[in-house]
Amino acid sequence: MTGGIITGGWEFVWAAYGLTFAALAIYGGSLALKIRGEARNDQEQKR
Amino acid sequence: MSVDLLPRPNPRAPLIASGLIAVSVVLLAIGSYIGLFHAPPEHFMGDVQRIMYVHVPTAWTAMLVLVVAFVCAIAFLFSQRWKWDAWLEASIEVGVLLALLLCVQGSIWAKPTWGVWWDWDPRLTSTAVLCFAFLGVLALRRFVEDPLKRATWSAVATIIAAADVPIVYMSVKWWNSLHQTQSTPQTVASSMVTPLRINAFGILFLAAGFLVLRSHLAQRRLAGELAPPLPERAEAHVQPTLGGAS
Repeated sequence: MTGGIITGGWEFVWAAYGLTFAALAIYGGSLALKIRGEARNDQEQKR
Repeated sequence: MSVDLLPRPNPRAPLIASGLIAVSVVLLAIGSYIGLFHAPPEHFMGDVQRIMYVHVPTAWTAMLVLVVAFVCAIAFLFSQRWKWDAWLEASIEVGVLLALLLCVQGSIWAKPTWGVWWDWDPRLTSTAVLCFAFLGVLALRRFVEDPLKRATWSAVATIIAAADVPIVYMSVKWWNSLHQTQSTPQTVASSMVTPLRINAFGILFLAAGFLVLRSHLAQRRLAGELAPPLPERAEAHVQPTLGGAS
């Protein structure tokens, strides 16, 4: 920080964006896997 | 208390959710690109302020989703329809995820601007309380096996936890807070409004997609829990086992 003005700090920006999108992608992926598992169970029960 | 109608999961829910998530990915890609590479740096915070384009939309959507949870809780208690319980479960889970992300993003933003990762400031404290209150509701749902008790107790707990939502929103006005007051398109420079708006819609569509998928899963599980046993299974359950009677 120089004279009350913050310089740099891109690492914080990347960390915030990276963590956010990684967490959202993992949660979305886990939901998709559960849905796929349910669909597979349905098909097995029909057989 | 009588609860009617078995939940009927919509078979098109995964398709609807996929559409919402696809739109959100496009919006978030565009909004983040503009926010990271085209929007000007803020005068005092410099490039660190770019965290706002993901932090503020997350905050708006987290509050909205937790208000949806409150509405679902009221709707279940009044209408006794299982679909509201499924939507309640979905909205609490998605709301908690967004609220936790909100705390993490805020903490990352706090370090370069305030010099600390965390401060027991009214806004941060009330947000942490919100996270833990709704995590408690999720834990309650995990530990109660009876579907009716689970739905009723968690609806009541949600209404109590949701009392913190307006406190979080108003905390920066009611108390002397380190956190700045709410960011809106009126309080932000016009060159910064576009990425903020695009990402706000992006996170909103993503949360909507997650809600549709998660409530679909919850409705399927409820349908399994509440369905009457198959005749042959019920019969086998009633008949005493050979040599079992003494």
